[in-house]
Amino acid sequence: MNALVDAPLIPGKKISLLIGVLGLGVSVIGWITTPRAFFVSYLFAVVFFVGLSLGSLGILMIHHLTGGYWGYAVRRFLEAAAGNLPLIALLFVPILFGLSELYPWRHPDIVAANHLLAKKQGYLNTAGFIIRTIAVFAVWIVGSRLLLKWSAEQDVTVSVEPTRKMRTLSGPGLVIYPMTMTFAAVDWIMSMETEWYSTMFPILICIGQILGALALIILLFAWTAGSSKLRELASTDNFHKIGNLLLAFVMMWAYLAFGQLLVIWSGNLPAEISWYLHRTAGGWRWVAIFIGLFEFFVPFFLLLMRPVKKKRHVLAMVAACVFISYIVTIWWTIAPSAYPGGFYVSWITVTTFFGIGGLWWAAFLWNLGRRRLVPVNDPRFALAVPV
Amino acid sequence: MKEKYGLMAEFSTHEELVHAAEKAYEHGFRNMDGYAPFPVEGLAEALGKKTRLPLLVLIGGIIGGLGAYFMEWDANVISYPINIGGRPLNSWPAFIPITFELTVLGASLTAFFFSLGLSGLPKPYHPVFNVPQFERASQDRFFLCIETRDRLFRGDETRDFLLSLNPLTISEVDK
Repeated sequence: MNALVDAPLIPGKKISLLIGVLGLGVSVIGWITTPRAFFVSYLFAVVFFVGLSLGSLGILMIHHLTGGYWGYAVRRFLEAAAGNLPLIALLFVPILFGLSELYPWRHPDIVAANHLLAKKQGYLNTAGFIIRTIAVFAVWIVGSRLLLKWSAEQDVTVSVEPTRKMRTLSGPGLVIYPMTMTFAAVDWIMSMETEWYSTMFPILICIGQILGALALIILLFAWTAGSSKLRELASTDNFHKIGNLLLAFVMMWAYLAFGQLLVIWSGNLPAEISWYLHRTAGGWRWVAIFIGLFEFFVPFFLLLMRPVKKKRHVLAMVAACVFISYIVTIWWTIAPSAYPGGFYVSWITVTTFFGIGGLWWAAFLWNLGRRRLVPVNDPRFALAVPV
Repeated sequence: MKEKYGLMAEFSTHEELVHAAEKAYEHGFRNMDGYAPFPVEGLAEALGKKTRLPLLVLIGGIIGGLGAYFMEWDANVISYPINIGGRPLNSWPAFIPITFELTVLGASLTAFFFSLGLSGLPKPYHPVFNVPQFERASQDRFFLCIETRDRLFRGDETRDFLLSLNPLTISEVDK
Protein backbone atom coordinates (compact mmCIF):
# COMPACT_ATOMS: atom_id res chain seq x y z
CA MET A 1 0.00 0.00 0.00
CA ASN A 2 1.29 3.42 -0.86
CA ALA A 3 -0.21 6.88 -1.04
CA LEU A 4 -1.35 6.40 -4.61
CA VAL A 5 -3.66 3.52 -3.74
CA ASP A 6 -6.98 3.74 -1.94
CA ALA A 7 -8.39 1.00 0.24
CA PRO A 8 -10.33 -1.59 -1.81
CA LEU A 9 -13.79 -0.36 -2.72
CA ILE A 10 -15.34 -3.68 -3.57
CA PRO A 11 -14.31 -6.94 -1.92
CA GLY A 12 -14.54 -10.39 -3.47
CA LYS A 13 -11.45 -10.72 -5.65
CA LYS A 14 -10.57 -14.22 -4.43
CA ILE A 15 -14.15 -15.51 -4.48
CA SER A 16 -14.68 -14.39 -8.05
CA LEU A 17 -11.33 -15.87 -9.11
CA LEU A 18 -12.47 -19.16 -7.56
CA ILE A 19 -15.85 -18.94 -9.33
CA GLY A 20 -14.05 -18.22 -12.58
CA VAL A 21 -11.69 -21.18 -12.33
CA LEU A 22 -14.48 -23.53 -11.17
CA GLY A 23 -16.84 -22.32 -13.90
CA LEU A 24 -14.31 -22.85 -16.66
CA GLY A 25 -13.23 -26.16 -15.12
CA VAL A 26 -16.78 -27.50 -15.13
CA SER A 27 -17.29 -26.13 -18.65
CA VAL A 28 -14.49 -28.40 -19.88
CA ILE A 29 -16.87 -31.33 -19.22
CA GLY A 30 -19.24 -29.64 -21.66
CA TRP A 31 -16.48 -29.27 -24.22
CA ILE A 32 -15.95 -33.06 -24.11
CA THR A 33 -19.60 -34.15 -23.99
CA THR A 34 -21.45 -31.56 -26.12
CA PRO A 35 -18.86 -29.48 -28.01
CA ARG A 36 -21.42 -27.50 -30.02
CA ALA A 37 -23.33 -26.32 -26.95
CA PHE A 38 -20.02 -25.55 -25.28
CA PHE A 39 -18.64 -23.42 -28.10
CA VAL A 40 -21.87 -21.47 -28.62
CA SER A 41 -21.99 -20.75 -24.88
CA TYR A 42 -18.30 -19.92 -24.74
CA LEU A 43 -18.54 -17.55 -27.70
CA PHE A 44 -21.50 -15.86 -26.00
CA ALA A 45 -19.53 -15.33 -22.79
CA VAL A 46 -16.44 -14.05 -24.60
CA VAL A 47 -18.46 -11.67 -26.80
CA PHE A 48 -20.32 -10.40 -23.75
CA PHE A 49 -17.22 -9.64 -21.68
CA VAL A 50 -15.17 -8.29 -24.58
CA GLY A 51 -18.17 -6.00 -25.06
CA LEU A 52 -17.99 -4.71 -21.48
CA SER A 53 -14.27 -3.98 -21.86
CA LEU A 54 -14.60 -2.37 -25.29
CA GLY A 55 -17.71 -0.41 -24.36
CA SER A 56 -15.83 0.95 -21.34
CA LEU A 57 -12.93 1.90 -23.59
CA GLY A 58 -15.41 3.71 -25.84
CA ILE A 59 -16.96 5.68 -22.96
CA LEU A 60 -13.46 6.43 -21.64
CA MET A 61 -12.43 7.90 -24.99
CA ILE A 62 -15.67 9.90 -25.21
CA HIS A 63 -14.89 11.38 -21.81
CA HIS A 64 -11.28 12.15 -22.71
CA LEU A 65 -12.64 14.17 -25.62
CA THR A 66 -15.62 15.86 -23.98
CA GLY A 67 -14.58 16.13 -20.35
CA GLY A 68 -17.38 16.66 -17.85
CA TYR A 69 -17.92 16.20 -14.18
CA TRP A 70 -19.68 12.82 -14.49
CA GLY A 71 -16.67 11.09 -16.02
CA TYR A 72 -14.22 11.67 -13.19
CA ALA A 73 -16.38 9.64 -10.82
CA VAL A 74 -16.37 6.59 -13.09
CA ARG A 75 -12.98 7.01 -14.81
CA ARG A 76 -11.35 4.23 -12.77
CA PHE A 77 -14.17 1.77 -13.44
CA LEU A 78 -13.81 2.39 -17.15
CA GLU A 79 -10.04 2.03 -17.03
CA ALA A 80 -10.21 -1.15 -14.97
CA ALA A 81 -12.66 -2.70 -17.46
CA ALA A 82 -10.64 -1.60 -20.49
CA GLY A 83 -7.55 -3.03 -18.78
CA ASN A 84 -9.09 -6.51 -19.07
CA LEU A 85 -8.63 -6.68 -22.86
CA PRO A 86 -5.41 -8.78 -22.72
CA LEU A 87 -7.18 -11.28 -20.44
CA ILE A 88 -10.16 -11.54 -22.76
CA ALA A 89 -7.81 -11.97 -25.75
CA LEU A 90 -6.26 -14.93 -23.96
CA LEU A 91 -9.70 -16.34 -23.16
CA PHE A 92 -10.60 -16.07 -26.85
CA VAL A 93 -8.06 -18.75 -27.82
CA PRO A 94 -10.33 -21.80 -27.17
CA ILE A 95 -12.78 -20.45 -29.80
CA LEU A 96 -10.13 -21.20 -32.44
CA PHE A 97 -10.49 -24.91 -31.63
CA GLY A 98 -14.23 -24.80 -32.20
CA LEU A 99 -14.54 -22.94 -35.49
CA SER A 100 -16.12 -25.98 -37.16
CA GLU A 101 -18.75 -26.15 -34.43
CA LEU A 102 -19.68 -22.51 -34.92
CA TYR A 103 -19.25 -21.45 -38.52
CA PRO A 104 -20.82 -22.96 -41.66
CA TRP A 105 -18.01 -21.60 -43.88
CA ARG A 106 -15.70 -24.14 -42.24
CA HIS A 107 -17.67 -27.03 -43.76
CA PRO A 108 -16.69 -27.84 -47.38
CA ASP A 109 -20.00 -29.65 -48.00
CA ILE A 110 -22.11 -26.63 -46.96
CA VAL A 111 -19.88 -24.29 -48.98
CA ALA A 112 -20.06 -26.56 -52.05
CA ALA A 113 -23.85 -26.56 -51.86
CA ASN A 114 -24.13 -22.81 -51.44
CA HIS A 115 -23.08 -20.59 -54.31
CA LEU A 116 -23.15 -17.40 -52.18
CA LEU A 117 -20.98 -18.89 -49.45
CA ALA A 118 -18.52 -20.28 -52.03
CA LYS A 119 -18.01 -16.76 -53.39
CA LYS A 120 -17.24 -15.50 -49.87
CA GLN A 121 -14.43 -18.01 -49.29
CA GLY A 122 -11.81 -15.40 -50.15
CA TYR A 123 -12.76 -13.57 -46.98
CA LEU A 124 -14.41 -16.14 -44.76
CA ASN A 125 -11.60 -18.63 -44.23
CA THR A 126 -9.70 -19.91 -41.22
CA ALA A 127 -6.46 -18.02 -41.82
CA GLY A 128 -8.35 -14.76 -42.43
CA PHE A 129 -10.45 -15.27 -39.28
CA ILE A 130 -7.37 -15.82 -37.10
CA ILE A 131 -5.36 -12.95 -38.63
CA ARG A 132 -8.24 -10.49 -38.28
CA THR A 133 -8.95 -11.60 -34.71
CA ILE A 134 -5.29 -11.14 -33.73
CA ALA A 135 -5.20 -7.77 -35.50
CA VAL A 136 -8.28 -6.33 -33.80
CA PHE A 137 -7.16 -7.52 -30.37
CA ALA A 138 -3.71 -6.04 -31.02
CA VAL A 139 -5.23 -2.65 -31.89
CA TRP A 140 -7.54 -2.69 -28.84
CA ILE A 141 -4.81 -3.78 -26.44
CA VAL A 142 -2.24 -1.26 -27.69
CA GLY A 143 -4.81 1.55 -27.61
CA SER A 144 -6.10 0.74 -24.13
CA ARG A 145 -2.60 0.17 -22.71
CA LEU A 146 -1.46 3.56 -23.99
CA LEU A 147 -4.45 5.29 -22.39
CA LEU A 148 -3.86 3.45 -19.10
CA LYS A 149 -0.12 4.20 -19.16
CA TRP A 150 -0.68 7.93 -19.69
CA SER A 151 -3.42 7.95 -17.08
CA ALA A 152 -0.98 6.44 -14.56
CA GLU A 153 1.63 9.06 -15.53
CA GLN A 154 -0.94 11.78 -14.94
CA ASP A 155 -1.43 10.54 -11.37
CA VAL A 156 2.11 11.50 -10.39
CA THR A 157 2.62 14.72 -12.32
CA VAL A 158 0.98 18.12 -12.52
CA SER A 159 2.07 18.49 -16.16
CA VAL A 160 -0.86 18.46 -18.59
CA GLU A 161 1.09 16.44 -21.17
CA PRO A 162 -0.35 12.95 -20.36
CA THR A 163 -3.93 14.27 -20.56
CA ARG A 164 -3.15 15.95 -23.86
CA LYS A 165 -1.83 12.65 -25.21
CA MET A 166 -4.93 10.79 -24.03
CA ARG A 167 -7.14 13.31 -25.74
CA THR A 168 -5.15 13.16 -28.96
CA LEU A 169 -5.43 9.37 -29.11
CA SER A 170 -9.14 9.33 -28.20
CA GLY A 171 -10.23 11.20 -31.34
CA PRO A 172 -8.90 8.66 -33.86
CA GLY A 173 -9.58 5.94 -31.28
CA LEU A 174 -13.32 6.55 -31.43
CA VAL A 175 -13.17 6.05 -35.21
CA ILE A 176 -10.94 2.99 -35.02
CA TYR A 177 -13.13 1.28 -32.39
CA PRO A 178 -16.25 0.77 -34.57
CA MET A 179 -14.08 0.02 -37.61
CA THR A 180 -12.17 -2.79 -35.89
CA MET A 181 -15.34 -4.00 -34.17
CA THR A 182 -16.90 -4.28 -37.65
CA PHE A 183 -14.37 -6.99 -38.56
CA ALA A 184 -14.89 -8.71 -35.22
CA ALA A 185 -18.70 -8.59 -35.42
CA VAL A 186 -18.72 -9.94 -38.97
CA ASP A 187 -16.27 -12.75 -38.23
CA TRP A 188 -17.36 -13.82 -34.78
CA ILE A 189 -21.12 -13.35 -34.92
CA MET A 190 -22.52 -12.56 -38.36
CA SER A 191 -20.74 -15.44 -40.12
CA MET A 192 -22.52 -17.95 -37.86
CA GLU A 193 -25.45 -17.63 -40.28
CA THR A 194 -24.88 -19.21 -43.66
CA GLU A 195 -25.95 -16.31 -45.88
CA TRP A 196 -27.08 -13.47 -43.65
CA TYR A 197 -25.50 -10.06 -43.75
CA SER A 198 -26.43 -6.62 -42.46
CA THR A 199 -24.31 -3.49 -42.81
CA MET A 200 -25.94 -2.00 -39.74
CA PHE A 201 -25.12 -4.95 -37.53
CA PRO A 202 -21.55 -4.03 -36.40
CA ILE A 203 -22.50 -0.54 -35.21
CA LEU A 204 -25.52 -2.04 -33.44
CA ILE A 205 -23.09 -4.34 -31.63
CA CYS A 206 -20.82 -1.36 -30.80
CA ILE A 207 -23.63 0.75 -29.35
CA GLY A 208 -24.86 -2.30 -27.43
CA GLN A 209 -21.38 -2.65 -25.92
CA ILE A 210 -21.36 0.98 -24.82
CA LEU A 211 -24.89 0.61 -23.43
CA GLY A 212 -23.92 -2.51 -21.46
CA ALA A 213 -20.74 -0.90 -20.13
CA LEU A 214 -22.63 2.27 -19.18
CA ALA A 215 -25.24 0.25 -17.28
CA LEU A 216 -22.44 -1.58 -15.44
CA ILE A 217 -20.56 1.58 -14.41
CA ILE A 218 -23.80 3.20 -13.23
CA LEU A 219 -24.41 0.14 -11.03
CA LEU A 220 -20.86 0.32 -9.69
CA PHE A 221 -21.03 4.08 -9.15
CA ALA A 222 -24.36 3.84 -7.31
CA TRP A 223 -23.00 0.96 -5.24
CA THR A 224 -19.78 2.72 -4.20
CA ALA A 225 -21.16 6.26 -4.00
CA GLY A 226 -21.27 6.08 -0.21
CA SER A 227 -17.55 5.38 0.09
CA SER A 228 -15.44 8.25 1.35
CA LYS A 229 -13.44 8.73 -1.85
CA LEU A 230 -16.34 9.03 -4.23
CA ARG A 231 -18.83 10.79 -1.96
CA GLU A 232 -17.96 14.29 -3.10
CA LEU A 233 -18.46 13.21 -6.72
CA ALA A 234 -21.69 11.35 -6.05
CA SER A 235 -23.96 14.37 -6.35
CA THR A 236 -27.56 14.23 -7.49
CA ASP A 237 -26.49 16.28 -10.48
CA ASN A 238 -23.85 13.72 -11.45
CA PHE A 239 -26.36 10.87 -11.37
CA HIS A 240 -28.74 13.03 -13.40
CA LYS A 241 -26.10 13.56 -16.08
CA ILE A 242 -25.02 9.94 -16.29
CA GLY A 243 -28.70 8.94 -16.32
CA ASN A 244 -29.23 11.22 -19.31
CA LEU A 245 -26.33 9.50 -21.02
CA LEU A 246 -27.97 6.13 -20.35
CA LEU A 247 -31.21 7.42 -21.86
CA ALA A 248 -29.30 8.62 -24.94
CA PHE A 249 -27.70 5.20 -25.46
CA VAL A 250 -30.95 3.31 -24.80
CA MET A 251 -32.53 5.40 -27.58
CA MET A 252 -29.52 5.05 -29.88
CA TRP A 253 -29.49 1.29 -29.41
CA ALA A 254 -33.24 0.99 -30.01
CA TYR A 255 -32.96 3.22 -33.08
CA LEU A 256 -30.27 1.01 -34.63
CA ALA A 257 -31.94 -2.25 -33.63
CA PHE A 258 -35.23 -1.10 -35.12
CA GLY A 259 -33.51 0.39 -38.18
CA GLN A 260 -32.00 -2.97 -39.03
CA LEU A 261 -35.33 -4.73 -38.48
CA LEU A 262 -37.20 -2.22 -40.66
CA VAL A 263 -34.76 -2.48 -43.58
CA ILE A 264 -34.66 -6.28 -43.52
CA TRP A 265 -38.40 -6.65 -42.91
CA SER A 266 -39.19 -4.29 -45.81
CA GLY A 267 -36.83 -6.08 -48.18
CA ASN A 268 -38.06 -9.51 -47.08
CA LEU A 269 -35.26 -11.25 -48.99
CA PRO A 270 -34.54 -14.89 -48.11
CA ALA A 271 -30.86 -14.32 -47.29
CA GLU A 272 -31.68 -11.45 -44.94
CA ILE A 273 -34.96 -12.29 -43.27
CA SER A 274 -33.67 -15.69 -42.11
CA TRP A 275 -31.87 -14.01 -39.22
CA TYR A 276 -35.15 -12.67 -37.81
CA LEU A 277 -37.03 -15.88 -38.59
CA HIS A 278 -34.49 -17.81 -36.51
CA ARG A 279 -34.82 -15.25 -33.74
CA THR A 280 -38.59 -15.30 -33.55
CA ALA A 281 -39.07 -19.07 -33.86
CA GLY A 282 -40.69 -20.81 -30.90
CA GLY A 283 -39.45 -19.56 -27.54
CA TRP A 284 -37.04 -17.09 -29.14
CA ARG A 285 -40.06 -14.88 -29.88
CA TRP A 286 -40.62 -14.35 -26.16
CA VAL A 287 -36.96 -13.53 -25.70
CA ALA A 288 -37.26 -10.91 -28.46
CA ILE A 289 -40.31 -9.40 -26.73
CA PHE A 290 -38.46 -9.41 -23.40
CA ILE A 291 -35.56 -7.51 -24.98
CA GLY A 292 -37.87 -4.95 -26.59
CA LEU A 293 -39.63 -4.35 -23.29
CA PHE A 294 -36.70 -4.27 -20.90
CA GLU A 295 -33.91 -2.86 -23.03
CA PHE A 296 -36.08 -0.14 -24.52
CA PHE A 297 -39.66 0.55 -23.40
CA VAL A 298 -39.33 0.23 -19.63
CA PRO A 299 -35.96 2.02 -19.24
CA PHE A 300 -36.92 4.63 -21.86
CA PHE A 301 -40.12 5.73 -20.12
CA LEU A 302 -38.53 5.59 -16.67
CA LEU A 303 -35.49 7.60 -17.78
CA LEU A 304 -37.73 10.33 -19.21
CA MET A 305 -38.53 11.28 -15.63
CA ARG A 306 -36.05 13.46 -13.79
CA PRO A 307 -36.60 12.04 -10.29
CA VAL A 308 -35.61 8.58 -11.61
CA LYS A 309 -32.25 9.88 -12.82
CA LYS A 310 -31.57 11.93 -9.70
CA LYS A 311 -32.10 9.15 -7.14
CA ARG A 312 -29.16 6.82 -7.30
CA HIS A 313 -31.00 3.73 -6.05
CA VAL A 314 -33.75 4.13 -8.63
CA LEU A 315 -31.25 4.85 -11.41
CA ALA A 316 -29.31 1.75 -10.34
CA MET A 317 -32.46 -0.36 -10.73
CA VAL A 318 -33.00 0.95 -14.25
CA ALA A 319 -29.33 0.27 -15.05
CA ALA A 320 -29.71 -3.27 -13.70
CA CYS A 321 -32.73 -3.77 -15.97
CA VAL A 322 -30.69 -2.60 -18.99
CA PHE A 323 -27.68 -4.71 -17.97
CA ILE A 324 -29.68 -7.93 -17.59
CA SER A 325 -31.46 -7.27 -20.89
CA TYR A 326 -28.08 -6.73 -22.51
CA ILE A 327 -26.92 -10.18 -21.34
CA VAL A 328 -30.10 -11.68 -22.82
CA THR A 329 -29.61 -9.70 -26.05
CA ILE A 330 -26.14 -11.14 -26.63
CA TRP A 331 -27.44 -14.70 -26.10
CA TRP A 332 -30.38 -13.97 -28.43
CA THR A 333 -27.96 -12.54 -31.02
CA ILE A 334 -25.64 -15.55 -30.98
CA ALA A 335 -27.49 -18.72 -29.97
CA PRO A 336 -30.38 -18.82 -32.52
CA SER A 337 -27.82 -19.15 -35.33
CA ALA A 338 -26.89 -22.54 -33.87
CA TYR A 339 -30.33 -23.37 -32.46
CA PRO A 340 -32.82 -21.83 -34.93
CA GLY A 341 -35.68 -24.11 -33.94
CA GLY A 342 -36.61 -22.50 -30.66
CA PHE A 343 -35.37 -21.29 -27.32
CA TYR A 344 -32.27 -23.01 -26.09
CA VAL A 345 -30.05 -22.54 -23.08
CA SER A 346 -27.68 -25.01 -21.51
CA TRP A 347 -26.05 -25.44 -18.14
CA ILE A 348 -22.80 -24.82 -20.02
CA THR A 349 -24.07 -21.32 -20.87
CA VAL A 350 -24.23 -20.60 -17.16
CA THR A 351 -20.86 -22.16 -16.32
CA THR A 352 -18.99 -20.44 -19.17
CA PHE A 353 -20.64 -17.11 -18.31
CA PHE A 354 -19.62 -17.35 -14.66
CA GLY A 355 -16.25 -18.86 -15.61
CA ILE A 356 -15.20 -16.02 -17.88
CA GLY A 357 -17.16 -13.52 -15.80
CA GLY A 358 -15.41 -14.61 -12.60
CA LEU A 359 -11.97 -14.14 -14.13
CA TRP A 360 -13.01 -10.85 -15.75
CA TRP A 361 -14.39 -9.54 -12.45
CA ALA A 362 -11.33 -10.65 -10.44
CA ALA A 363 -9.03 -8.89 -12.92
CA PHE A 364 -11.30 -5.84 -12.86
CA LEU A 365 -11.05 -5.61 -9.07
CA TRP A 366 -7.31 -6.13 -9.25
CA ASN A 367 -6.99 -3.28 -11.79
CA LEU A 368 -9.23 -1.09 -9.65
CA GLY A 369 -7.19 -1.70 -6.52
CA ARG A 370 -3.94 -0.58 -8.10
CA ARG A 371 -4.96 3.02 -8.67
CA ARG A 372 -6.36 5.98 -6.79
CA LEU A 373 -10.10 6.14 -7.19
CA VAL A 374 -10.19 9.72 -8.36
CA PRO A 375 -7.95 11.24 -11.07
CA VAL A 376 -6.94 14.20 -8.90
CA ASN A 377 -4.14 15.42 -11.16
CA ASP A 378 -6.26 15.62 -14.30
CA PRO A 379 -6.02 19.31 -15.24
CA ARG A 380 -9.76 19.52 -15.88
CA PHE A 381 -10.64 17.68 -12.67
CA ALA A 382 -9.80 20.68 -10.49
CA LEU A 383 -12.05 22.88 -12.62
CA ALA A 384 -14.86 20.36 -12.56
CA VAL A 385 -14.92 19.76 -8.81
CA PRO A 386 -15.94 22.65 -6.60
CA VAL A 387 -13.39 22.81 -3.76
CA MET B 1 -49.54 58.86 -6.05
CA LYS B 2 -48.86 56.41 -8.84
CA GLU B 3 -49.80 52.82 -8.27
CA LYS B 4 -46.91 50.46 -7.66
CA TYR B 5 -46.24 47.09 -9.23
CA GLY B 6 -43.84 45.93 -6.57
CA LEU B 7 -40.49 46.27 -4.85
CA MET B 8 -37.34 45.15 -6.61
CA ALA B 9 -34.03 44.14 -5.03
CA GLU B 10 -30.83 44.00 -7.05
CA PHE B 11 -28.06 41.42 -6.48
CA SER B 12 -24.66 40.94 -8.05
CA THR B 13 -24.49 37.12 -8.06
CA HIS B 14 -26.92 34.33 -8.89
CA GLU B 15 -26.18 32.58 -5.58
CA GLU B 16 -27.44 35.66 -3.71
CA LEU B 17 -30.55 35.74 -5.87
CA VAL B 18 -31.37 32.07 -5.20
CA HIS B 19 -30.70 32.60 -1.50
CA ALA B 20 -32.96 35.68 -1.46
CA ALA B 21 -35.69 33.82 -3.31
CA GLU B 22 -35.54 31.00 -0.77
CA LYS B 23 -35.79 33.48 2.11
CA ALA B 24 -38.72 35.29 0.51
CA TYR B 25 -40.52 32.01 -0.09
CA GLU B 26 -39.92 30.98 3.53
CA HIS B 27 -41.28 34.34 4.63
CA GLY B 28 -44.48 33.49 2.78
CA PHE B 29 -44.27 35.59 -0.38
CA ARG B 30 -45.74 33.92 -3.44
CA ASN B 31 -46.36 36.67 -6.03
CA MET B 32 -42.76 37.32 -6.89
CA ASP B 33 -40.35 36.63 -9.69
CA GLY B 34 -36.60 36.43 -10.29
CA TYR B 35 -34.76 37.96 -13.24
CA ALA B 36 -31.31 36.90 -14.40
CA PRO B 37 -29.12 37.20 -17.53
CA PHE B 38 -28.89 33.39 -17.86
CA PRO B 39 -30.92 30.36 -16.71
CA VAL B 40 -30.15 29.92 -13.01
CA GLU B 41 -30.26 26.34 -11.74
CA GLY B 42 -32.64 26.05 -8.79
CA LEU B 43 -34.17 29.53 -9.10
CA ALA B 44 -37.62 28.33 -10.18
CA GLU B 45 -37.66 25.83 -7.30
CA ALA B 46 -36.53 28.52 -4.83
CA LEU B 47 -39.34 30.84 -5.98
CA GLY B 48 -41.81 27.99 -5.59
CA LYS B 49 -42.76 28.13 -9.27
CA LYS B 50 -44.33 24.92 -10.45
CA THR B 51 -44.93 24.08 -14.08
CA ARG B 52 -47.31 21.67 -15.75
CA LEU B 53 -45.22 21.80 -18.93
CA PRO B 54 -43.69 18.27 -18.64
CA LEU B 55 -47.16 16.72 -18.35
CA LEU B 56 -48.46 18.79 -21.28
CA VAL B 57 -45.47 17.81 -23.43
CA LEU B 58 -46.06 14.13 -22.58
CA ILE B 59 -49.73 14.45 -23.58
CA GLY B 60 -48.73 16.30 -26.78
CA GLY B 61 -46.30 13.54 -27.66
CA ILE B 62 -48.83 10.79 -27.02
CA ILE B 63 -51.48 12.56 -29.12
CA GLY B 64 -48.91 13.01 -31.92
CA GLY B 65 -47.89 9.35 -31.83
CA LEU B 66 -51.39 7.89 -31.62
CA GLY B 67 -52.60 10.33 -34.27
CA ALA B 68 -49.81 9.32 -36.63
CA TYR B 69 -50.43 5.62 -36.19
CA PHE B 70 -54.17 6.08 -36.60
CA MET B 71 -53.62 8.12 -39.76
CA GLU B 72 -51.42 5.39 -41.28
CA TRP B 73 -53.71 2.60 -40.17
CA ASP B 74 -56.77 4.40 -41.53
CA ALA B 75 -55.09 5.16 -44.87
CA ASN B 76 -53.67 1.68 -45.40
CA VAL B 77 -56.35 -0.53 -43.88
CA ILE B 78 -59.66 1.36 -44.27
CA SER B 79 -59.40 3.96 -47.03
CA TYR B 80 -56.90 2.57 -49.54
CA PRO B 81 -56.18 -1.09 -48.83
CA ILE B 82 -53.46 -2.10 -51.31
CA ASN B 83 -51.55 -5.38 -51.32
CA ILE B 84 -47.85 -4.42 -51.20
CA GLY B 85 -45.61 -7.45 -51.65
CA GLY B 86 -48.03 -9.64 -49.74
CA ARG B 87 -47.45 -7.77 -46.49
CA PRO B 88 -50.31 -7.37 -44.02
CA LEU B 89 -52.31 -4.17 -44.47
CA ASN B 90 -51.54 -3.13 -40.90
CA SER B 91 -47.74 -3.32 -41.32
CA TRP B 92 -46.61 -1.89 -37.99
CA PRO B 93 -42.84 -1.84 -38.64
CA ALA B 94 -43.34 0.44 -41.62
CA PHE B 95 -45.57 2.75 -39.57
CA ILE B 96 -43.06 3.30 -36.76
CA PRO B 97 -40.87 6.04 -38.36
CA ILE B 98 -43.87 8.35 -38.97
CA THR B 99 -45.28 7.52 -35.53
CA PHE B 100 -41.94 8.43 -33.99
CA GLU B 101 -41.58 11.65 -36.00
CA LEU B 102 -45.07 12.89 -35.16
CA THR B 103 -44.55 12.01 -31.50
CA VAL B 104 -41.54 14.32 -31.52
CA LEU B 105 -43.46 16.96 -33.49
CA GLY B 106 -46.44 16.83 -31.13
CA ALA B 107 -44.19 17.07 -28.08
CA SER B 108 -42.02 19.89 -29.43
CA LEU B 109 -44.91 22.02 -30.72
CA THR B 110 -46.61 21.61 -27.34
CA ALA B 111 -43.39 22.60 -25.58
CA PHE B 112 -42.90 25.63 -27.83
CA PHE B 113 -46.40 27.09 -27.68
CA PHE B 114 -47.22 26.19 -24.09
CA SER B 115 -43.92 27.47 -22.71
CA LEU B 116 -44.67 30.80 -24.41
CA GLY B 117 -48.33 30.78 -23.38
CA LEU B 118 -47.81 29.68 -19.77
CA SER B 119 -45.18 32.40 -19.26
CA GLY B 120 -47.65 35.00 -20.57
CA LEU B 121 -45.75 35.75 -23.76
CA PRO B 122 -45.87 37.69 -26.00
CA LYS B 123 -46.02 40.66 -23.62
CA PRO B 124 -45.32 44.09 -25.12
CA TYR B 125 -45.34 45.87 -21.74
CA HIS B 126 -43.98 44.80 -18.39
CA PRO B 127 -43.66 47.15 -15.40
CA VAL B 128 -40.22 45.88 -14.30
CA PHE B 129 -38.66 47.79 -17.21
CA ASN B 130 -39.68 51.03 -15.48
CA VAL B 131 -36.71 50.55 -13.15
CA PRO B 132 -33.70 52.15 -14.90
CA GLN B 133 -31.04 49.70 -13.70
CA PHE B 134 -33.20 46.74 -14.75
CA GLU B 135 -31.54 46.79 -18.17
CA ARG B 136 -28.59 45.10 -16.46
CA ALA B 137 -30.80 42.04 -15.91
CA SER B 138 -29.68 41.01 -19.37
CA GLN B 139 -26.02 41.72 -18.56
CA ASP B 140 -24.63 41.15 -15.08
CA ARG B 141 -27.28 41.78 -12.42
CA PHE B 142 -29.85 39.58 -10.70
CA PHE B 143 -33.22 40.89 -9.55
CA LEU B 144 -35.94 39.73 -7.21
CA CYS B 145 -39.27 41.52 -7.48
CA ILE B 146 -41.99 41.10 -4.84
CA GLU B 147 -45.30 42.24 -6.25
CA THR B 148 -47.82 44.47 -4.45
CA ARG B 149 -50.62 41.99 -5.16
CA ASP B 150 -49.02 39.50 -2.76
CA ARG B 151 -51.24 39.18 0.30
CA LEU B 152 -48.24 39.69 2.61
CA PHE B 153 -47.07 42.83 0.83
CA ARG B 154 -46.86 45.78 3.28
CA GLY B 155 -44.86 48.70 1.83
CA ASP B 156 -42.15 49.51 4.38
CA GLU B 157 -42.22 46.15 6.11
CA THR B 158 -41.47 44.44 2.81
CA ARG B 159 -38.71 46.97 2.12
CA ASP B 160 -37.16 46.09 5.50
CA PHE B 161 -37.39 42.43 4.65
CA LEU B 162 -35.59 42.98 1.33
CA LEU B 163 -32.97 45.11 3.13
CA SER B 164 -32.23 42.15 5.41
CA LEU B 165 -31.11 40.24 2.31
CA ASN B 166 -28.28 42.75 1.66
CA PRO B 167 -29.16 43.78 -1.90
CA LEU B 168 -27.18 46.38 -3.86
CA THR B 169 -30.28 48.54 -4.34
CA ILE B 170 -34.00 48.45 -3.71
CA SER B 171 -36.34 50.16 -6.15
CA GLU B 172 -40.05 50.77 -6.29
CA VAL B 173 -41.50 49.49 -9.51
CA ASP B 174 -44.12 51.77 -11.10
CA LYS B 175 -47.09 50.14 -12.73
